[in-house]
Amino acid sequence: MNALTAFVYETYHLGLRTTRRFVRVPANWISIIFFPLIQLLVFSQLYKDIVQLPGFGSESSYLAYLAPGQVAFAGLMAVAWSGYGLLVEFRSGYLDKLRAYPISRWSILAGEMVPLFFQAAAMAAVILVVSMLLGATLVTGVGGFLLILFLTGAFGIAFAGSSFIPALLTKSEQATSTISLLLFPLMFMSTAFVPKALMPGWMQVVNDWNPVTYLIEAMRALMITGYEWGAIGKAVLSLVVLGAILQAVTLWAFRRLAR
Amino acid sequence: MRAYDGPAIQTKGLVKVYRGGTRALDDVSFEVAPGELFGLLGPNGAGKTTAIRILVTLLRATAGTARVVGLDVVTQAVEVRRRLGLAMQNPTLDAFSTGRETLELAGRLQGMPSAAVRRRSDELLELMGLSSVAKKLAGTYSGGMKRRLDVAAALVHCPELLILDEPTEGLDPQSRTALWEELERINASGTTMLLTTHYMEEADRLCSRVAIIDHGRIVVDGAPSELKQGIGADTVVLQIESHGAPDRGVGDDPAEGNGGGVAGDPPVDPLARVRRLLEGMVAPGAVLAHPAGVSLAVPNAYAAVPGLLRRLESDGLRVTGLKVSQPSLDDVFMKYTGRRIREGAADQPLLLGW
Repeated sequence: MNALTAFVYETYHLGLRTTRRFVRVPANWISIIFFPLIQLLVFSQLYKDIVQLPGFGSESSYLAYLAPGQVAFAGLMAVAWSGYGLLVEFRSGYLDKLRAYPISRWSILAGEMVPLFFQAAAMAAVILVVSMLLGATLVTGVGGFLLILFLTGAFGIAFAGSSFIPALLTKSEQATSTISLLLFPLMFMSTAFVPKALMPGWMQVVNDWNPVTYLIEAMRALMITGYEWGAIGKAVLSLVVLGAILQAVTLWAFRRLAR
Repeated sequence: MRAYDGPAIQTKGLVKVYRGGTRALDDVSFEVAPGELFGLLGPNGAGKTTAIRILVTLLRATAGTARVVGLDVVTQAVEVRRRLGLAMQNPTLDAFSTGRETLELAGRLQGMPSAAVRRRSDELLELMGLSSVAKKLAGTYSGGMKRRLDVAAALVHCPELLILDEPTEGLDPQSRTALWEELERINASGTTMLLTTHYMEEADRLCSRVAIIDHGRIVVDGAPSELKQGIGADTVVLQIESHGAPDRGVGDDPAEGNGGGVAGDPPVDPLARVRRLLEGMVAPGAVLAHPAGVSLAVPNAYAAVPGLLRRLESDGLRVTGLKVSQPSLDDVFMKYTGRRIREGAADQPLLLGW
């Protein structure tokens, strides 16, 4: 087996285990179903009339505007929890046991990230379905639906490092959740809740560099206007670049465990 | 079918200094021959787990080298991982995987083909008496079952070397004995084994050779029987009736000194009398006062006792009780460290930080 096939094989089997572990814990189903619902209903009701402000353009329902942002928010939520799960495996010694197998270090990390993909995608599905039931449209249909789920899952994997790195470096649950929370401002400085035009100048600059915005704009396009490959390409590119950087740092932090 | 017939494990001058300055290992060298059941015996905090973690490629030594079946644990880490099976201090199982899933994953990660993984899992579930719970989640297993599953997972790829860190820690006596038998059987079938323990009975019962480790140094190593013989002598405690009834039993362990005779009798010093009587058989310095009477240090108690008794009774000294004890590994530990292994438990380093 060459290195790539070995990586895929190991990640598949490790991912089966982490996914089993995820679905066999009932609390995880609650996080998938209820968090997105609560988010969606609270925000859409709270800011219902916000669409009457200039800057929202033709949008007539805040729910339609909000859904893609909430999908990204749900993904970020799943990411923030993920380092915690890694620490549970570290404390029990299970991570060490995996490190003693003749497998790639990256497979071990990837295996731990697999449920994150499904969790983020499942949360996205819940939000999309409920939004559509409440009247939002998805012009690209099933294809767009699946693409949004994939993008959200990929977003989870790309950002996993933001929670795995503090977990591996501090080995502390508190530090990990605190540091993961530092990412949440990215959410509020994106176009998740309001269009760019309504942001103060400095925030517009942040927004231009915010990978969360690229993701949201791609999904918003898929819901409202159609397959805008420019927007989708930007989202994919930002995820790949950010993901590559974060994965490399995560791998470095993981190897440090042998010191 | 061993590809290599040098030592199964060979460490030279291993040193591990953790960040923060704790010197967990201080020049540790030892060798384990193929087929041996080798024990690292020492109190908690002695450095046993650190040594194991270096051998299984989880931790880098600060200095020194370690080879497992001839392979360097740093430069040939992946190959080392293929050749050994590992069961760590607490059974490290995924609570949400079933027994069978646990074994099958272990086999896959060791790169075994699917058919072999299934066959070997069946075999091990049967061998470890887990077939009936193969489909239950490992989280629902008892302590003994978890431990057996953990050992089974370590054996899935038929490793040349099995490394076990405190394999019976936390088990009830029954499960412990059962696991001992299991380990003996695995060793008898040709698997070299290295285990750590702070239970002397365990090292004594299981290991063909032990190394006693304390404060990160190996203080002595050898076969348990050899080490105990090195103590020199067995102990014979005699309860002696001088005049009147003995006031204490042999097995008692009172805090005060010599039990004297009954008031009114002429004072007798049994110690001096025994010393005199046994002249030529036991050196006077080997006869000591004991709460129950006297204690004698003799090289081979079981052979010596009949002669001693005849000599004492020929002079009218009545021996009313007798206890023979042989040195334990704890005595060995005492001899080399000046402490009992139980009291030697060092505090685990406290992990502070974030």
